[in-house]
Amino acid sequence: MEPQFAEMTCERSAALIQDVIDGELASASRAELEQHLAACPPCRALLDDLREIARVGGELPLHTPRPQVWARIASRIAEEQAARPTPFWTGARVMLAMAATLVVGVGASLWVLRAPAPGTQAAVTQSGKDIVKDVDEHLRIADAHYTQAIEGLEQVVKTDQGALDPAVAATLQKNLGVIDVAIRESRQAIQTQPHSELARTSLFEAMRQKVALLEDTIALINVMRKGDQAGAAKIVKGLTKS
Amino acid sequence: MGPRISSDQMEANRVDETLVARCRKGDVPAFEELYKRHSSRLYSVAYRMTGSAADAEDLLQDIFLQVYRRIDSYRGEAALGTWLHRLAVNACLDFLRSKQGHRRQVTDSLDEPDASEPVAHASWRPDAVLSRLDLERAVAQLPPSYRRAFLLHDVEGLEHHEVSDALGIAEGTSKSLVHKARMRLRTLLRGRPAEPARGPGQVVPFAASPSRAGER
Repeated sequence: MEPQFAEMTCERSAALIQDVIDGELASASRAELEQHLAACPPCRALLDDLREIARVGGELPLHTPRPQVWARIASRIAEEQAARPTPFWTGARVMLAMAATLVVGVGASLWVLRAPAPGTQAAVTQSGKDIVKDVDEHLRIADAHYTQAIEGLEQVVKTDQGALDPAVAATLQKNLGVIDVAIRESRQAIQTQPHSELARTSLFEAMRQKVALLEDTIALINVMRKGDQAGAAKIVKGLTKS
Repeated sequence: MGPRISSDQMEANRVDETLVARCRKGDVPAFEELYKRHSSRLYSVAYRMTGSAADAEDLLQDIFLQVYRRIDSYRGEAALGTWLHRLAVNACLDFLRSKQGHRRQVTDSLDEPDASEPVAHASWRPDAVLSRLDLERAVAQLPPSYRRAFLLHDVEGLEHHEVSDALGIAEGTSKSLVHKARMRLRTLLRGRPAEPARGPGQVVPFAASPSRAGER
């Protein structure tokens, strides 16, 4: 008849020692193990050794790669930046989808611009002189703000346009041209009817469209440079929403 | 790797975040800075896992080019160092699973010295601190499956369940491999047999049991 707490074998002790090192020993077994270790110097030595091996394992020296490795990486990055982006865009479905979205988006907004908004006339007749003056001032500030933003964005697009696929660039140019016409027409309308809300709305709508289109173009240039398919898809998705 | 984060670590993470933001704008000097900060750690992982400086350099190059191209996929959920480390470990495992890596391991195991031979010039005396270089030399002599599990768990700090995921093995297998690896390392470093004596309460000095019969 074995006693209830049979003396632990060294084999079982070795297994528990590993669990101690892994931090996974239940407290009941811990007491049992401690009892064994107290009477068994070889198992104590085993615990010390394995603990030391695991500890030093976590502190192994770092090795440094030769400087050539960074040189190789840097030259690959330079090559990739110089290269035209990319077979992925040429004739890719994403490109077609994007071009279509741009055309639809711009077309739809222009259609909205040209349709007279219901209630516009009533709003105009209700406006007092002070309000008109106030609105004029806002109009001037907003106009300046947009014009500045557009100039900055146009600059960026002009410098970086080489990154765009020629077909995409052509579509963008065409859409920008359509918006520019809308801006010109709206300005002329404002000159002849300075207080027409419709003329103002259409001017700012057209400017907003232009800013958005330029921003999207810059975003596109960025993702295309990186060859980031997911990013491109995201932009196309964003365009669909706007 | 415990859950504690020192203030140094937090500062390092903050610097990394700033560099990542610059990298997203295509800033190559910022990327070079990231490389300087992390390349040694990742190279060390690759060097130990593959056992070859040339393979480790190729892997390091691939890893960093991948990071450069996909920096946008880093969402900041983990610290950059952790993200890079995971990327490196996965790249190494992919390499080892590849034909090229497999071939190298076969060559390795043919060169493997008799496991009962202690590491040449090992200087681990009883009650002495284990030298990191001795341990590293001994790790290089482990059979590939032991070495991989030991490196992932004890060196790279993965939990057993993570090792099991990474290697596609059961968690119990991960434990068993790591345990055997430690025993083998002890033999390599101490020049003693890996298995303790059997039998209830039997006290057998290690020097007196040179038999390898129990060794798996």
